[in-house]
Amino acid sequence: MRYESARLAGFQSPAKKELRGELDMSFCILVLVLLSMGLLMILSSSFARAYYDPGKVTGGKAGYFFIRQFIFAVAGTILMFLASKVPMRLYRKYAFHFLIFCIVLLLLVPFVGTKVNGSRRWLSLPGIRIQPSELAKLAVIMSFALLISQKAGKMHSFKEGILPFAGILALIVGLLMLEPHFSASIIIIAIGGVMLFLGGVSLGWFIGAVAVLGSALAVLLIFFPYASERITTWLDPFASSSDEGYQIIQSLYSIGSGGLSGLGFGKSVQKYMYLPEEHNDFIFSVYCEEMGFIGAALLLSLFALLILRGYYIALKCPDRFSFLVCAGITSLLFIQIFLNVAVVTNLVPCTGISLPFFSYGGTALMTELIEMGIILSASRDAVY
Amino acid sequence: MKFNRESREPVSKPNSQMLRRTLFLMAVCGVFAFLLLLTRLYKIQIIDHEFYEERAMSQQMRENKSSAARGSIYDRKMNPLALSAPVDNLYLSPGEIDSRHEDRELIAKGLSDILDLDYEEVLKKSSEKGSYYVTVKRKLSREESDKVRKFKTDNDLRGIRLEPDSKRYYPNSSLACHVLGFVGMDNQGLEGIEARYESALGGTEGRTLRLTNAYGTDLLFKQFEEHCPGEEGLSLVLSLDSGIQYFVEKHLKQAVEDYDIQNGAGAIAMDVNTGGILAMASIDGFDPNNFLAVSDDAQAKIAASNDPEGELRAQQLKQWRNKALSDSYEPGSTFKIITLSMALEDGAADLNSSYYCGGSVNVRGRTSPIRCWKHGGHGSQTLTQAVQHSCNAAFVNIGLQVGAERFYDYLEAFGFLEKTGDKDESLTAKSGIDLSGETGSIFWSENVFCSPKNLSQLAAASFGQTFTISPLQLITAVSACINGGKLMKPYVVEKMLNEDGTVAYERKPQEVRRVISEETSAKVRQILESVVGDPKEGTGKNAAVRGYRIGGKTGTSEKVNLEATTGKKEYIVSFIGFAPADDPKIALLIFLDTPSDKSGVYVSGGQMAAPTVGKMFADILPYMGFVPQFDEDEINEAVVPNIVKMNLSDGENALYSQQLRYRVIGEGNTINAQLPKAGSRIAKNSEVIIYAGETPSENMVTMPELNGMGYDEARDSLAESGIYVRSLSPLSDGGTQKIVSQSLPAGTEIPRGSVIELMLRDSDEEQLGKY
Repeated sequence: MRYESARLAGFQSPAKKELRGELDMSFCILVLVLLSMGLLMILSSSFARAYYDPGKVTGGKAGYFFIRQFIFAVAGTILMFLASKVPMRLYRKYAFHFLIFCIVLLLLVPFVGTKVNGSRRWLSLPGIRIQPSELAKLAVIMSFALLISQKAGKMHSFKEGILPFAGILALIVGLLMLEPHFSASIIIIAIGGVMLFLGGVSLGWFIGAVAVLGSALAVLLIFFPYASERITTWLDPFASSSDEGYQIIQSLYSIGSGGLSGLGFGKSVQKYMYLPEEHNDFIFSVYCEEMGFIGAALLLSLFALLILRGYYIALKCPDRFSFLVCAGITSLLFIQIFLNVAVVTNLVPCTGISLPFFSYGGTALMTELIEMGIILSASRDAVY
Repeated sequence: MKFNRESREPVSKPNSQMLRRTLFLMAVCGVFAFLLLLTRLYKIQIIDHEFYEERAMSQQMRENKSSAARGSIYDRKMNPLALSAPVDNLYLSPGEIDSRHEDRELIAKGLSDILDLDYEEVLKKSSEKGSYYVTVKRKLSREESDKVRKFKTDNDLRGIRLEPDSKRYYPNSSLACHVLGFVGMDNQGLEGIEARYESALGGTEGRTLRLTNAYGTDLLFKQFEEHCPGEEGLSLVLSLDSGIQYFVEKHLKQAVEDYDIQNGAGAIAMDVNTGGILAMASIDGFDPNNFLAVSDDAQAKIAASNDPEGELRAQQLKQWRNKALSDSYEPGSTFKIITLSMALEDGAADLNSSYYCGGSVNVRGRTSPIRCWKHGGHGSQTLTQAVQHSCNAAFVNIGLQVGAERFYDYLEAFGFLEKTGDKDESLTAKSGIDLSGETGSIFWSENVFCSPKNLSQLAAASFGQTFTISPLQLITAVSACINGGKLMKPYVVEKMLNEDGTVAYERKPQEVRRVISEETSAKVRQILESVVGDPKEGTGKNAAVRGYRIGGKTGTSEKVNLEATTGKKEYIVSFIGFAPADDPKIALLIFLDTPSDKSGVYVSGGQMAAPTVGKMFADILPYMGFVPQFDEDEINEAVVPNIVKMNLSDGENALYSQQLRYRVIGEGNTINAQLPKAGSRIAKNSEVIIYAGETPSENMVTMPELNGMGYDEARDSLAESGIYVRSLSPLSDGGTQKIVSQSLPAGTEIPRGSVIELMLRDSDEEQLGKY
């Protein structure tokens, strides 16, 4: 039995408690390093806007965003360690409940959600605002992992391997489109695809899915001028007069003016209200301006190491559910990082995707850290 | 399949396909995707770095210009003529009003109330989208700035901004306006000295290049700043004398009014030894503090015009025109000074020469004879008399004796033309003064002027007709005739001062060339003094001021071209005078363009321009510190003796011996008061009031209008009120003199016993003529 095979036998507790291994230190340290860097960048990128306070939020306190993010980071770190203590067995047990819970939340959003910038994506509770789409990503990973591990060997069939998953995805994406929340939909579709890919669905289905999504996208572009405008803005942001064009241009100015070694920590000029969303979706641009190409390469290397380590932990998982959850969360992390950097460097069309551990946002940060905690929990069971 | 007993769930290890696929994801997501991102970043940050940096900098950099303090302008005695004072410009930053949610209506209401602006206008400006700089009003007064500042702090409005600027002040308003010129909104010189010396006065503005936030204000931490210091403007010290300028303007304005001058007037006063301009005035003037405003007369014309905008522009250009610099004219008889000088220098005439004038003279090349202004002729006259009489016939002869070629050479020597080598070309020249807008002369080509077959050009030029010159050229040349023979280059700016007051540049008076000898110059001075000083024969006697030696020459030139084209007879009357006649320090030329023949005064330089110059000299010469020297025999004036406390008969005798009459008030026998007080200089035969046993009443009397009265008439009519007169003009015997100015204007309340100084004009019918 795997519990007996846990290496750290000295970790016995006197009670009937399950005996678990030590969490993966490399992964944990990478997370904490990135979290610290993220906090420093929040401070650096946000103080100018917080000080000038154009939106009448901060009351002119330069540390406003930093302090809030710091509190969430501390809370999130605690949650991460708590999550790492929860045995995978329990995640598995409640995976489906969690999915139902998320669907209920998503159902509530269009009716009681808080509207920000024309989209209803938030549920406001006293003291905290949560974004159910963040939870839905995790719910898709967990429930897919559960389903796949239950349907081992049947994943190649359409009825067992495609239909239930497609149903869940369609429901969630449908609910997200009500908000609407385009970027979350893409991420959820992508993460669902990755889960199925890992689960063993034959590659032919993916070719089919790409074809279907491609044509859906084409239809979207033809019939929704808003979407096609994004494409033209992407192709030539300097010719565009849209807000996205302006954002991308300012982002490129930031990144480009960083050069090889950057202007130095805290010395970005673009963050002085030139670059929109500078402590949010475009925080990586400020980072590049201040730390240069060298700093950007360092950060991307750290992210890459984290992702490689996440897959490595997955590979070492003793059971399919843990494996799929770890690989799924790692893939989700990758998708977020990749899309964020790709957007701010204008590699893909502009859409709002936050950078894990860096972008400002309490629930997102806490969700990410809980996800890391789940990987850490799985790492306790890992067999090396 | 294994089952975990505790959970009762199937536990299956990941299969090999899953492991393969994970490895694939590791390669794609953990390595290749990041390499792709790094490649992209390399392109942006390394390859295109400069492109983006340049664009980012261009939006982040702000250039702040700190305008250099404009130099001041002073007169030769360091009285300020133009100064710059700090003021504020008011602008709004709608972007900040927006972001701070400041109350637009409050701002518009507050500012429109304080500055008397249109509420809607300000409201509109406060709502300009995406702007951080909308000018509301420039150059606020200090009071306005203070109020705006208070309003801003009281309501904590960051959208209201004040920035420093400077405003040009001309403390003497219109004084010397044409010389000074004026500056535009951005303090750039537009006219006059302000424009001509723009680079010296303006300095160079300082520039500060710095990084700013998107609102255009400083970053929280100073990151980059580059400062190029400006240079403060230099201050100018002019040769101008505000006192002289004031007197010249005052009397010139009076003359324009008195003689109903239709087309403006100009005057130039020059230091004859240096060429420095002491005064330069043109009518109409304007206030450089508010140079766009036009006079009431001009307003009326604009209102009556079909094209009010065009008319306004025309009136503005007219009032800005420096006639003394920019108008050229046929000088007429004043030019005889030049002819006289060259003739004396060349030996073509001397003090013993005599000339006969029969009223006209025939000249080769002319079909009709040239007529002298005195149709009956002057008869036989010496050279001095010919000048005194301003006799055209005599001057035609003098010119012919000089000869066309020598005459032409002298024209060049005096600065009236510059030979070019092309003898068929009409010639021109300028004095080269350091003012913009100077007009040039126009002279016959050498071949026309010097043609032996046709002497009419030479003949007419000898008395100043058939060519045009600028007033400045004439006074410069005449200064050479009387200063010992040196033609000086005229100038206005004497010195330039650094900000700390040290001298950055000082002009040395520049002698262009010697034209005539010292001896010739002395003779010219002597002859010209007799034109003014001889109360019988001098045509310029109306310019005389008692106690001063003044020389000069009259001029009355008909606008020949105008008569030829329209048949209208219009004249420019002028006078050029200088003083002291034996050692001249100042020359003064005035010209009155188109006097009306309805003013009641005979249209001529001797009747209009000469008395005006006399009045100017009567003020200027004492101001310059020249003490009048009276020749006691000639004085028709008595000094009132002290007779108070004398007994009545002794007092009466004392007055009698001073040729004063008297009137006794009271029955007493001892004199207890007298009017006027002892030591007063008053006209002979004035009636002194003796108080015997009574005290004089303290009441004031009103000064009556004396213009046009004779001297004795004025003296006697004033005796009743206890006002006394004395004349600043020499008195002639004929009693043909009329009062043209009084030292206190009519209507003034003055104490009894006051002494009024009068200037007189001799309008002897015999002597009237266009000379």
